[in-house]
Amino acid sequence: MAILLSGSKRWVIPMTFVCLVLGSMLGIQLRTQKLRGDTLVGRETSALVGMLTRNEEQVRQQQQEIQQLRARLAQYEKEAASEKGMTKLMSQELRTARVALGVVEVRGPGIVLEISDSTMRVSDGTGGQDLYVIHDFDLLQIANELWCAGAEAVSLNGQRLITGSAIACSARLIAVNGLTIGSPFVFQAIGDRDKLVSALNIRDGVLDRLRVLQFPVKLTTQEAVTIPAISVTPKYILARPVEKELTQ
Amino acid sequence: MIAIPLAALILGFLVVYLKAPAVPSNYAGYVAIAIVAGMDAFAGAGRNWLERRFDEAIFISGFFVNMLLAALLAYLGDKLDVNLYLAVLVALGIRIFNNLGRSRALLVTMRVEARRARAGASAE
Repeated sequence: MAILLSGSKRWVIPMTFVCLVLGSMLGIQLRTQKLRGDTLVGRETSALVGMLTRNEEQVRQQQQEIQQLRARLAQYEKEAASEKGMTKLMSQELRTARVALGVVEVRGPGIVLEISDSTMRVSDGTGGQDLYVIHDFDLLQIANELWCAGAEAVSLNGQRLITGSAIACSARLIAVNGLTIGSPFVFQAIGDRDKLVSALNIRDGVLDRLRVLQFPVKLTTQEAVTIPAISVTPKYILARPVEKELTQ
Repeated sequence: MIAIPLAALILGFLVVYLKAPAVPSNYAGYVAIAIVAGMDAFAGAGRNWLERRFDEAIFISGFFVNMLLAALLAYLGDKLDVNLYLAVLVALGIRIFNNLGRSRALLVTMRVEARRARAGASAE
C-alpha cells in the first residue's frame, strides 16, 4: 500500500481515477448515441405525438359529419335527377366534377406504389440519416410524375390527392391534406398502367434515385384500384366564378 | 500494475453504458469534445512517460482542466454562433497525432539503440 502512495508506483491511483472518469464519459457518450439511434425521431416528439392523436380524433369526428352530410346530399341529387332531362344532364356534369374534385370514391385500373425509409443506417447521428428517409419532396415528385403520366385519381396513404392537396414536411413526418402520415408510403393511382409504370421508372427518375439509396420500392399494377374520397372537402370561400355576360 | 487503471476504465465504461440515461442531445457534443480532450491528455502522458518526464500532477490537472476548457470553448462557440468546437477539435487532433507520432519515434529509437548496444557488446 505504501508503495502506491509514495513509491515509484505513485501514478497508479491517480491514473485509475482518471481512467474511471474517461471510461464513464465514453460510456455515457456511446450510450447516448445508441439511445438516439434507437429512436430516430427523438424524444421531444412525444409531445407532438400527443397533439397528433388529439387532432386525429377531431378529424375523425369531422369526417363522420362529412359522411352524414354527403349521404344527405346524394339523396337530394337522386331526387333532383329523377325529375327532368335537364337536371339529368346537370347531374351528369356534376358526377364528372365530383370525380375531379375527389369527393367521391373511385375505382379503376391502376398502380400501387409502396416506398419506405431506407434500410441503410448512418451511425454517427450527425443528421446524415436525412439522406435515407423519405422526404416531402420525394413524395411531391412522385405525385407529380403520376399526374404527368395522366393519372386520373391519386391517393397517398389513403388520402385522396386533389388540386388543393399539399404534401408538406411536418416535424420529421409528412402532412398530406392536413393529416400526418409516416413511412411506409403507399401511392395508389388510377390511369393507364403502362404509362404510369414507365413514368415512375424513368431512368434517373425519382424511383431510380430512391433505389440507389436502398429504399424499399414496390411497384405493382392492379386491375382495380379503389381510391377513397377526399376526407375533408375543400372550402371555396374567396374564389368566385366569373360570370361572363352572354353577348350575342 | 497497469491492470488496475485498465480495469477502472472498463468498469467505468460498462457501468455507465449499461445503466445511465442518455445525455440531453444539446450537451452530447460537449461530452464528446471533453472525451477528445481526455484522450489528448493520455497521448501526452504516454509521450512524457517515454521521455521519462511523466508527472502525475501535470497529467491529472491537464486531464481535467483541458476537458473543462474544451467543453467550455465549445459551449462559448455555440453561444457566439462560431464553430469554436472545430478549432478545439483540430487543435486536439493535431496534438494527439503529434504525441502519438513522437511516442512511436521514441519507441523505435529505443529499440534501435538497444540493438546497437547489444551488437557493440558482442563485438568487443
